[in-house]
Amino acid sequence: MVPSYLYLVLLVMIPLIVGFGSFFIPNARSCRQFSAIFLWVQLALVAFLLRSLLSGDVTVMNFYLGFSADRISAFFIVLVTFMMACATTHADYFFATEEAQNIGMPGRSHRKFYAATNLFLVAMTYVFICDSLGYLWISVEATTLTSAYLVYYDKTKNSLEATWKYLMICTVAIGFALLGTVFIFASSQNGAIPGGSLYISDLIAHADQLNFPLLKLGFMFCLIGYGTKAGVFPLYSWMPDAYSEAPAPASAMLAGALINVSLFAIWRVKQIIAASAMHSLIEQTVTIMGVITIIAGSLLLIRQQSFKRMWAYSSIENTGLMLVAIGMNFGGLFLLHAINHSFAKVTLFLVSGDIIHASGTKKLGHLQGVLKACPLWGVLLALATFALTGCPPFGSFLSEMTLLLAMADAGRFALVAILVIAIGVSFVAICVHVGRILFGGPKAKFSAYKPVRASVIPAILICCSLAMGTLVNSNFWINLK
Amino acid sequence: MSAATNYVAFILTALTALLLPPLLLATIRKTKARMQNRLGTRLFQPYYDLLKFLAKAETVSSTTSWVFRSTAVANLVTVILIAFLTPWLSYGPHFRDASDLFLIVYLFGLARFMTVLAALDAGSVFGGFGASREVTLALLIEPGVVLALASLACVAHTSSLGSIMSYSLVDNPVLYTQPIMWLLAGSGLFLASVAELSRMPVDDPTTHLELTMVHEAMILENSGRNLALTEYTHVLKMAVLLGLSGQCFLHSVADLWSANDLVRGAASIAIIFALTLVIALMESLIVKLQWRKVPEFISYAVGMSLLCFLIAVGVR
Amino acid sequence: MIANLDAYQILAISAAVMAMLMLGTTHLKGGLSFYMVHTILVAAQAVFMGGMRTQLHEYLVPILYAGFKGVGVPIFLTYVMKKIEVDDDAGTYLPPPLCLHIGILMLGVSYLLASHMPGLVAASDAHIGAMAAMSMLFTGMLLMLTRKLAISQLIGFLVMENGIYVFACSHTHGMPMLVEMGILLDVLVGVIAAGLLSNSIKRSFEHIDVTKLTDLKG
Repeated sequence: MVPSYLYLVLLVMIPLIVGFGSFFIPNARSCRQFSAIFLWVQLALVAFLLRSLLSGDVTVMNFYLGFSADRISAFFIVLVTFMMACATTHADYFFATEEAQNIGMPGRSHRKFYAATNLFLVAMTYVFICDSLGYLWISVEATTLTSAYLVYYDKTKNSLEATWKYLMICTVAIGFALLGTVFIFASSQNGAIPGGSLYISDLIAHADQLNFPLLKLGFMFCLIGYGTKAGVFPLYSWMPDAYSEAPAPASAMLAGALINVSLFAIWRVKQIIAASAMHSLIEQTVTIMGVITIIAGSLLLIRQQSFKRMWAYSSIENTGLMLVAIGMNFGGLFLLHAINHSFAKVTLFLVSGDIIHASGTKKLGHLQGVLKACPLWGVLLALATFALTGCPPFGSFLSEMTLLLAMADAGRFALVAILVIAIGVSFVAICVHVGRILFGGPKAKFSAYKPVRASVIPAILICCSLAMGTLVNSNFWINLK
Repeated sequence: MSAATNYVAFILTALTALLLPPLLLATIRKTKARMQNRLGTRLFQPYYDLLKFLAKAETVSSTTSWVFRSTAVANLVTVILIAFLTPWLSYGPHFRDASDLFLIVYLFGLARFMTVLAALDAGSVFGGFGASREVTLALLIEPGVVLALASLACVAHTSSLGSIMSYSLVDNPVLYTQPIMWLLAGSGLFLASVAELSRMPVDDPTTHLELTMVHEAMILENSGRNLALTEYTHVLKMAVLLGLSGQCFLHSVADLWSANDLVRGAASIAIIFALTLVIALMESLIVKLQWRKVPEFISYAVGMSLLCFLIAVGVR
Repeated sequence: MIANLDAYQILAISAAVMAMLMLGTTHLKGGLSFYMVHTILVAAQAVFMGGMRTQLHEYLVPILYAGFKGVGVPIFLTYVMKKIEVDDDAGTYLPPPLCLHIGILMLGVSYLLASHMPGLVAASDAHIGAMAAMSMLFTGMLLMLTRKLAISQLIGFLVMENGIYVFACSHTHGMPMLVEMGILLDVLVGVIAAGLLSNSIKRSFEHIDVTKLTDLKG
């Protein structure tokens, strides 16, 4: 039997080795393919290591002092690794196209890209298995630093600006999260636990004895801090810039994986609050913040001019939805929507990246007639849009519907009405924009259309989304703890 | 205070006010010379300079009027009044106890007014711009000086500078325990006096370039007896201001509150020389600031006084 | 109030005042010297926290703090400044004297907040530490919001981190050592990344004014 502390190494061994090893691989092309293959191996390994958690035999796995995983984190780890594997595989094709068209960075930089990607995966995996608030903070900050290189990859003026904004806003926000962590630690010192504790399991166990004002203050700061990284309402301005300036696989990774990481951090901290006596007021606040974010995202989607920025605002809207799920204490529904959103978003970013490459422009106004010029990609784009915005039979419909029904069961009818309107507005806005791209005669010059290789991953993901929509039992997710 | 001690204190103050200030000027010049590897003038040179100016004939511009001569005299009289009323030494005449903080600040303003009038009266360009710069500086410095002294007054519950600066535990029980307030007030006053006296880094006193003159520009028209009066007024003002900041620094030392008068007197003269040395070192080591950057320097002076004020609010 | 302060409280307040003095100058070298003294004072107050520390390994984090953040970061930033050839701040939204005075007034505001905020009142001996920490947070925010130069914004962020560290020291008497070291490492890597980024900004933008980074909109 494998001793449990060894899991800490095993879970991240492959990405660490590949990450550092990518500097030693001479050929950029083999580096790309190597990375992709090993990430699929990593997915299999992670699923194997966590199988008891995934199947429900065990509810908590303790690895070492300060590290443990429960069922929700196990699912998240598998999801994030899956997303990264998909994105890196597609990145192989993406960078090959760039090299063939002689645009973008030279082959040497691909190694740095893959090194950053793998370290990014390491940091993200650690976020999900942290039991100590301190380690959680360190891991989240590590994800910010490693993903900054991904945004900066193209080294153009605009990507520099986007990276600077990203780094500054997110680091300051995470500084606030650190302040929140300090306050929560202080609340445990003046309360029950002698010497104080940063371990979430300890804090949940003694939740009633913690000093409540300090705990509330700490949670608010953590919410602002980690929420900024997720794209919650006031401080989301870095998101559209970062998503549109990063290369498409990197945007897919950011959207599909990073948002889940930040929201998971909020979920973890909220578990402490949920275990204490007076939690309803704080949960109200979280839910209201989620609703405001959804409204902001939907309204901002109406006037969009650039392809990838549009998906960033849609991410903001979905962050709001997930935040509402967190606020209403539905852990399983949060996970379900995270899965569906990640599937759809990654597909969209990958397909958008290919379309932008083929047509040479990012502006929505200049793109037209995708369906005529690249039929397969057009179909994939349309399907993925439906998957994102919550059309049946795709998975997002199920998750959003279950969330709304659960909220109605809990009696929050006003919020349900607002959410329905907001989701409707965003659906119409996105469909109008995408429809304008798809139909009509081709406006821009399309080239380099290699349908089959590029469509494999998006097709897989759309099938997964379909599966989530049809084959999943929603009760399982509502009761997931 | 008995009549005899009073008389002695009065004579002592008069003697100090007469003899000390040119010595300060000599100290500055000698230190700067030494730092520049020169021998420098002899220590009593400023006295000889003053006597020389008194003996020389004057060249008076034809555009000046009676204002020119009378303001020089009025300036001197005001500053002598300040010297007797302000507690810049730890000994002084008894009527010093009745002096008011705002009276002193306004007397300084009156002296500045006289100087500005004299500068404008000559009608030259130098006088004009020197006067405008001097008044701008005064505007910026005033909050610093007033805040520092007012915070001390706030805590001592009296606005009489004489009783604030007295070393008696009976009068100032709270202020005795606040060395940090005294230090902050002292540094605020010191930085403000550097600006008021037009020393570096605000203004270079040895230059006569149009770009860099403030004080020198105003007294450019004077010669002979007027120059003697103006120069002496300036160094007496320097002694008083440095003495005031020095007293603030001395009050932060708890031992001095209970020492006898001789020690305190010696200490007050010593601190004036120490501050003069600091000014001389600043002049040798720091470059003059651009005129745009002078408000930033003064903001540090006001900042020190603001901190002192915050502590005063906290103490109350 | 002032007379009977512990050593670490005096150090915390001096650190806060040093940070405030940074607000009053646009000269970068002067600002970095203030920052160096400020960080070393913060590390010193961590040592004096709760009496002198009993075990040797508890000195480790403050020493690393003073060494890397207090001395290493100014050296690195001076190197970056030499490469991008700036000496003075590109500009400020608020004139430095006004900034300095607002910073000092914020010290008074933080004193009020520290005495009256319900969560913080609970830890009764931590008022002065909380006041110093909050004023450092305000100073850092002022620096970040009012300066146009990328490096000044970075220094503002570092001052904020120092404020958070003083909060941690005064309210919790020290977080677990591994956590503190991890935090220090993350902050340092962030500084290096931002410094390298500033270099690239100069090369591709011909100016270092971050307010001109407005190409991305909408």
